[in-house]
Amino acid sequence: MKISAALLMVLLPLAAAMTQIDKERAVGNPSAPVKLEVYSDFTCPHCKHFHEEMLPQLMRDYVVNGKMYIIDRAFVLPHEHSREAFAYAIAAARIGKYQPVADALYAQQATWFTTGNVWGTVASALPSPADQKKVQELSKDPGVLAEIETESRAGAGQGINETPTLVITVGTKTYPLPPAMNDYRLLRSMIDGLLPK
Amino acid sequence: MDSSRSKVLYWTAVALRVIVGIVFAYAGYLKLREPWALFAMGIDSYHILPYNMVVFAAHTLPAAEVALGLWLMVGFWPRVPSSVISLLLVVFFTAMVHAKMAGQKIDCGCFGPGDPISKWTLLRDGSLLAASLFATWFAFRRLPKKA
Repeated sequence: MKISAALLMVLLPLAAAMTQIDKERAVGNPSAPVKLEVYSDFTCPHCKHFHEEMLPQLMRDYVVNGKMYIIDRAFVLPHEHSREAFAYAIAAARIGKYQPVADALYAQQATWFTTGNVWGTVASALPSPADQKKVQELSKDPGVLAEIETESRAGAGQGINETPTLVITVGTKTYPLPPAMNDYRLLRSMIDGLLPK
Repeated sequence: MDSSRSKVLYWTAVALRVIVGIVFAYAGYLKLREPWALFAMGIDSYHILPYNMVVFAAHTLPAAEVALGLWLMVGFWPRVPSSVISLLLVVFFTAMVHAKMAGQKIDCGCFGPGDPISKWTLLRDGSLLAASLFATWFAFRRLPKKA
């Protein structure tokens, strides 16, 4: 009994934190018929292309009308600054600032990847000094770092080895898309074919 | 050619023809089970064909693979299916080698999604191509005249 209570005390805050992060790093209606998980890395140029070119089209065609729920998943590549960028982004998610930080990291990818000044880019997306302080503190939080590892491991467990990898789930059926998928017309055909008529 | 060698060649060709036919039909069946666009994305990742051709190939290839594979297995008029399958395998294998040499980290697309191009996939498809070429050669071989 005592062990169960102790486990609950440990697991409940963790579960709550996971829910909060998922909500902040997801867009759309959670009960939408199509769920799209995007395994990406902030250092990856194809992920930048997906974030800036394809994601807005998906938002326009499927998210705003409640047909799709998109979840960002961390998949750390063995690149310098990759983990640091994720730490800031997930820390920003904890204070509800994930999207502006993710947008900035992709927009200025070439700059911080070259200079190594990841924080400079993150700070530019957080005008409030109070938010900047919170994100810096949270980026060192073991829970945030564990979150990055957990998601990356979950991706690797699904056989993912490239980014961006999109995984579409409709009902109980899951479709991992080919890693180099970059034609929105084909993605749209796929989604339209899966949506209930 | 003595008759025992002839028999070995014959049964080898039959066995390879059946194996290639089964593998080809099975590969097509796996693709037909999935949405066509998923296979289209796999073809598109090679960056060889224009969009319209990708869509056409994704719609037609899986069914053609099943039909050709079954035809080859049955062994009726084997010159046609063995030639077409060999030609297709040459195209697939060339595309895979090209992608591997170009450093593209993409799925083979041979048996549906989740099969990245590797030394193993090249060995597998190369062996299948060799078997298919043998079956084709045998189908076109002139039979020795009986005395």
